[in-house]
Amino acid sequence: MTMGSALREVLRVLFGSRLGLAGFSILLAFSLVAVFADLLAPYDPYEIVGLPYTPPSDRFPLGTNDIGQDILSEFIYGSRVSLYVGLTAPLIASVLGTLLGLLSGYLGGLVDEVVVGAVDVMLALPSLPLIIILAAYLGPSLNNIVLILAFFGWSGFARVVRAQVLSLRERPYVEAARAAGASGLRIMFRHILPHVVPLIIANLVLSATSAILAEAGLSFLGLGDPTVKSWGQMLRRAQAGHALDQGLLLWVFVPGLGIALLGTGFTLLGIAIEERVNPRLRFSRR
Amino acid sequence: MLRYFLLSRLVRMLAVFFVIVLLNFALPRAMPGDPASILVNEYNLPAETVRVLRTLWKLDRPIHEQFVAYIESLFTGQWGYSYKYFPRTVYELVMERLPWTLLLQGTTSLTVSGFGMLLGVLAGWRRGTRTDVSITISAILVYAIPYYWLALMMQYLFGYVLRVLPVAHAVTPGLAHASFLEYVADVLWHLTLPVLAVTLTAYASYTLVTRNSMVDVLEEDFIFVARAKGLPERVIMKHAVRNALLPPLTMLAIRLGQIVGGAVITETVFSYPGIGYLIYESIMYKDYPVLNAAFFILAITVIAANFLADMLYAAVDPRIRYVRRR
Repeated sequence: MTMGSALREVLRVLFGSRLGLAGFSILLAFSLVAVFADLLAPYDPYEIVGLPYTPPSDRFPLGTNDIGQDILSEFIYGSRVSLYVGLTAPLIASVLGTLLGLLSGYLGGLVDEVVVGAVDVMLALPSLPLIIILAAYLGPSLNNIVLILAFFGWSGFARVVRAQVLSLRERPYVEAARAAGASGLRIMFRHILPHVVPLIIANLVLSATSAILAEAGLSFLGLGDPTVKSWGQMLRRAQAGHALDQGLLLWVFVPGLGIALLGTGFTLLGIAIEERVNPRLRFSRR
Repeated sequence: MLRYFLLSRLVRMLAVFFVIVLLNFALPRAMPGDPASILVNEYNLPAETVRVLRTLWKLDRPIHEQFVAYIESLFTGQWGYSYKYFPRTVYELVMERLPWTLLLQGTTSLTVSGFGMLLGVLAGWRRGTRTDVSITISAILVYAIPYYWLALMMQYLFGYVLRVLPVAHAVTPGLAHASFLEYVADVLWHLTLPVLAVTLTAYASYTLVTRNSMVDVLEEDFIFVARAKGLPERVIMKHAVRNALLPPLTMLAIRLGQIVGGAVITETVFSYPGIGYLIYESIMYKDYPVLNAAFFILAITVIAANFLADMLYAAVDPRIRYVRRR
């Protein structure tokens, strides 16, 4: 695939379906908020700028939290954490999963048995409680959470890639490459990998949603990074500070909406890519 | 090869069990200090107690002896005392909490999968119509909603504004129930909000998977043949559904395996007295004996559910019995 045709493909995904465009717009909006958080946020989210539990007003559009920090500023900075986790954890998982899937599918034999066995075990493990206990023991840092999520995420990629490689390696062009004396590595990375990439990208974007939800859940339980403002942590504070009793509905509503919207953005884009890769899933028959 | 299938599953289950138990064994021991010294810092225990604990857990012995002792205590139910709920034993606590988790998670598993598969079948069957588009789009929108957030909003609406449903606990605290029937009613009343909140968010993944699987099956040759034979739509649908439900049933099996652990957040939000809430509490209070036992129960349920699912699968899908994985 040349650069030009790759670009055309990207544009086709974005503008060829309303779903993809909607997802892309949401992601673009949140990315801009995250990048320009310093300019957009009215206050420093870590600074105490008002009285605790101030109801929404012109000064504090969403009110203040239990210690007097501006909730809107917290929300704006919180987008950085969700985006960071949503992008990094699936990326690490996909690299790991793709490598193992490629090796397992192409080499077969003992390597395959081991990888398939590991994937089966990973899929059967109860991920949430294990993620919780790992986060509890390893300490609440954002990068620890990313690594834990990546560790529990690679198996899905490995399975998808392996299945694809199994069918690709029997294709005549691969046989031709082998006959021409191409090495195993060259066949795997030069001839097979490019055909698996679209599928990986679809899964990558789709698994961003679950990474975002998992980080928010951990932060909500109090196992997130206490030094950064995240949406899950805002929800935790709101619940612990009895926001709903205090009539501060927006304090609970807005962070959750942020998580849901950002997750939806990734899901919509992922589905648009997946439909492009596997047209059988489309709404209408064309 | 049924025997090969069962054997490979058995190995997998043992591996799953081993990983869970090993993590639980290794994590506290990999931390700086040992489990006993963590206790000293956390609870200010006298040196004498620590020495007794060290001997009890064989922390002064080589690691493999520790592991054997650890496994032994797990399987014999000698789980010790809870730190937080001292002098209650861990065994007592776990057995008291387990039924609540099974009730809550059993109910939600049924409602989530039932509701999700029903909508998915409908959307897939009516592919490309307005029904399909509205079901699928709403499932996509719902998919990313954090269920604990929906739970909080529903608590606000039904608990604080309308005051019609309880927002916490499994039964009304301090209430002496006049009859068994009244007790059951109270339990169900407390079950409503958690089940609703989880069902209205978690159904989405079942709907999406079922719809796609339905779409796939409906394109297969045997459906084409059935249509060509002029079979009534009802019969065709029955054939399609039977095949299309395998992927969502796999999801259900995985969910059943996570029945104990999947409830951590739900139970925490609703202060529901199940194992999930117990896990949460024991992490917060560093109540290691409870954590150990909870994860042991977790490991047991995971492999039991997986085993059950595999049996069912082999019974439902005859292909599994003969196809050997390449």
